[in-house]
Amino acid sequence: MATVQATAQATGARKVKPNEQKIPLARVLGRWAFMWPILALNLIVIVIPSIAGLGIAFTEWSGYGQPEFIGLANFDRLMQDAVFFKSLSNNIVWTAIFLTIPIFMGLLGAYLLAGIKRGQMIFRVLYFIPFVLASVVNAQVWRFLLHHRVGIGPWLAELGITDILDVALFGKAETALYTVAFVDIWHFWGFLVVIYLAAMSAVDVELYEVARLDGASRFQQFRYVTLPSIRPTIVFTLLMILIWSATVFDYVYILTSGKPAHASEVMGTYLYETAFFRFDAGYAGAIGVVMTLWVALAVGGFVFLRRRGWDV
Amino acid sequence: MKHLKLFLTVALLLFAITSVGAQDVTTVVWWTESGDEVDDFLIPLLADAFNAEHDDVQLEIIAQESLNDVNRTALQAGAAPDIIQTPGAAFIAEFVDAGQILPMTSLADQYGWKDKLLPWAYNSGVLAGELYSIPITYESMVLFYNKTLFADMGWAPPTSQAEIDAIAAEAIANDIFPFTYGNASWQPSNEHLMGIYLNNYAGVENVYLALTGQKPWTDTEFAEAADLLATQLVDGWFSGDLSNYYANTGDDIRYELASGEAAMMQSGTWNFGSIGQFFEEQGTEWDWAPLPPFHEQAGEYNYELATGSTISVNANTENPDAVGKVIDYWLSDPARVLAIAAGAGFGEYVVPIHFTVDDFPAGTDERVARFFADFAAVTGAGRAGYTTWTFWPADANVQLWTDIERVWSGELSTEDYLADHEALWEQARDEGKTLPIPAR
Repeated sequence: MATVQATAQATGARKVKPNEQKIPLARVLGRWAFMWPILALNLIVIVIPSIAGLGIAFTEWSGYGQPEFIGLANFDRLMQDAVFFKSLSNNIVWTAIFLTIPIFMGLLGAYLLAGIKRGQMIFRVLYFIPFVLASVVNAQVWRFLLHHRVGIGPWLAELGITDILDVALFGKAETALYTVAFVDIWHFWGFLVVIYLAAMSAVDVELYEVARLDGASRFQQFRYVTLPSIRPTIVFTLLMILIWSATVFDYVYILTSGKPAHASEVMGTYLYETAFFRFDAGYAGAIGVVMTLWVALAVGGFVFLRRRGWDV
Repeated sequence: MKHLKLFLTVALLLFAITSVGAQDVTTVVWWTESGDEVDDFLIPLLADAFNAEHDDVQLEIIAQESLNDVNRTALQAGAAPDIIQTPGAAFIAEFVDAGQILPMTSLADQYGWKDKLLPWAYNSGVLAGELYSIPITYESMVLFYNKTLFADMGWAPPTSQAEIDAIAAEAIANDIFPFTYGNASWQPSNEHLMGIYLNNYAGVENVYLALTGQKPWTDTEFAEAADLLATQLVDGWFSGDLSNYYANTGDDIRYELASGEAAMMQSGTWNFGSIGQFFEEQGTEWDWAPLPPFHEQAGEYNYELATGSTISVNANTENPDAVGKVIDYWLSDPARVLAIAAGAGFGEYVVPIHFTVDDFPAGTDERVARFFADFAAVTGAGRAGYTTWTFWPADANVQLWTDIERVWSGELSTEDYLADHEALWEQARDEGKTLPIPAR
């Protein structure tokens, strides 16, 4: 073996990794044979449309017929579009909300559940159900619950609790975005509970025993044992939230469609309106490029941290 | 060997017979938006009837969910059906621009469609002198009211803005909303109201001048029309509060009207198909009246012209003549058209052809028949207005119903809103993207 490596180095040949030598070519090809269908599918469904979408951003195109190349004109227009910047700022607000509230709720819920031995599965299922229900179903349920005439609000008003929920929360500029975010958090946080609970169950129990022997309180155990141990999971969920916040669409579209007066408009709904109501697919493509850049920055940041040696 | 020869001869004969048969029958495929009325009325009364009477052409109607999305993908892939159905005339300019539909002028001349269709409906499909689309439903805007409540309060349907003001004052004093409306189900509902206020305050003549570029949208009468609507919305005339308007779904507004929480609703005749059940549940009665003029300059009352879905011939079809035969079969029989429309509650498939009272199926609601008779008389006398989704180019249309919310919120002045609107019209004219405006 030593002779082979020495010869390879002497001749300048590629350094062969030991595990590559162990896998016969036929087996490698066999693995690729199993991989290519999904690769081909992703190429057709993701890669080609993505490249096409990028190209469309530099054209004037109605969505039908032939696009016309117009260079950076769509991006020039984007820089002067107040509604786009309103959408972008709403996406940023949305991200800030989702990077804090559901993470906190998920961690708290998972930590409390981790201490429950009997009936834990019931809670896990109950918390997880909203996540697996279709967004349109969740949205309709909350549309009724928060309805200004037939929802919880008017019922509370009859009990004397007024001016809180007996107003059209989805119809007020001050509350529309936050109310949609509330509904989305309700559907999403159970997912985080399950993820964090799974990560917490993998933490070595001896660490907790040692902490207890050192006199650590439950909060200190959470702060100094649980959180560092599940950090990769937390960072992963943060990354996913960053990505999903750029592309948020369904709950906003179903509940407010960006109303009133763009108060709850996000990039996804603005893109949809631009492409399918205004027949301005080229400009919609430019909005899509901004959303893609957002996602690329999030993923790039994640890769950067890993390369810097962070355990994420 | 002998058996082989016999087998080959029989096979050849069978092939020849089936080939000749296949060549003789042409199938025309039409995708339409799915709904109960398609299976229950459109397919039996149109496709099955046509197929029973024709040996050479067969019609296949396929119901699709989200038809527009399906069509868009199929058109790009070159796999769209022979008959292209669009949600409205605004799409036609884009299709023509992209070369995806055929002109139908020669078919129209061959079958006399210009005489069969109502003149304005025929003209709404003409671009650059060629007929590209035929509306397969039409509608207008009217004033629905709670007849039971009106009787209790001693009100009569208003015929002027002064009468509206009087009813509104009394309604508000009795905790009744003068109007109900909302856009939670469909944000473009804003344009229903904007269109009404432009036509009924500024007047149809002024709207026509603006549509044809002879008058800017920034003129005073249009600004006052927008301001009147804004004032009423902000003052809570519609469902009590502007935020309620944004949160109200289609069911909410019909409930508010039927329950007497609201007195009136300015909306489209598509409600004919669904409004009855809400009133039945509440034990009340509904009726409609023409929308009154909101200002003297608007003259006598009018009906806005509106086409809904349209059909066109796919540019890639191999059978344009067969498509013509199918369309003509539909347009040539008013009783069949009305039977299908009645099945859809007169909310869909009301093809704009000439009807007589005798063409309506037995049992047709008197209120519905009264509308169609009055619509024909009034629009025939030239008192026809313009709905924004039928006669506005796409960009200006979207700006009309999105940015008006910024006016209502106080974020944008009416003057700036109309200046932006005028700029989009000028852009559409420069790019040749305006839609046909029937001459007055």
